[in-house]
Amino acid sequence: MPYYSKSEDWLHHSSLLLAARPTTTRISTNYHLSPARRTPKSATPEQVVEDEKRGKRGHLVITTFDPKSGVSLKYKTSKAQEVGRLVQMLGTLAGRAAGREEERGVKKEEGDVEMGEAAADGGAGEGQGSGIVMPVVAAAEKQVPQVGGAGGGGGKKKKKGKR
Amino acid sequence: MSKHLSQDEFFTALTALFTTQKQSQKGTILLTQKRYSYDESAKETLSEQEHEETLTTTPLPQAPILIRASNSKSKEARNEGKKVKLSTIIQPDDLDSFYARYADVCKAGMSGLKPRDRTKRKAKEKARRKMKTQA
Repeated sequence: MPYYSKSEDWLHHSSLLLAARPTTTRISTNYHLSPARRTPKSATPEQVVEDEKRGKRGHLVITTFDPKSGVSLKYKTSKAQEVGRLVQMLGTLAGRAAGREEERGVKKEEGDVEMGEAAADGGAGEGQGSGIVMPVVAAAEKQVPQVGGAGGGGGKKKKKGKR
Repeated sequence: MSKHLSQDEFFTALTALFTTQKQSQKGTILLTQKRYSYDESAKETLSEQEHEETLTTTPLPQAPILIRASNSKSKEARNEGKKVKLSTIIQPDDLDSFYARYADVCKAGMSGLKPRDRTKRKAKEKARRKMKTQA
């Protein structure tokens, strides 16, 4: 199962999938925690605390899945600073799934502009490879008009194969 | 299936779920969200083409969002009563306030993730300062 390397890409494709199949698509957030590296019995309490800090062993997998078409879009991270942004994305997608007026009205035009901005913000905030994100998002935006309906599921699957 | 909780009860229970996981240092917490379209089962039987048509012609009716949380325990744990399953239903108008709190609870609960790594930047600054003092 492919993972997206950018959460913005995940959000973009998830919103397309949600637009195509709003009633069946679900989004799961999976937070795993495994014990930190084994600590020697002789370790002092201070050492144990330090080990706990260093050996953070949690990760977060966020999946958009549509059982009807079998499309599954995933994103994985182990960075704490991303949690807030991801939950915000969940909120955006939930608003669309709920069919709220404001989200629905601007879905086609402004939604995509927003996505571009989000990608730029994310890239700048992280201080890394925003140059790589932008072409991908721009290319995806061009495809949006064709991907309006349920056919989007098929298109996405094909794209997934290339990744 | 257990009854749906209110927002407050849900957050209290979710925080407790995160706390137990933190204490045991391991485990998985599964959160799911989907459109709550319980009585829309008739729609699902539409053919592919019909589905597409209804989607493009009629706007999506408003529906609440169903949020589920679980500690994803196995069947044995379920028999021992260790399996926890929570769910709540959020009306479209309450989504913003819910997600604001949701973000806070998740940020606090997912403490096993790596904090922002500042060591590299610090090392760089140190090197820069050294260069300055030398020059």
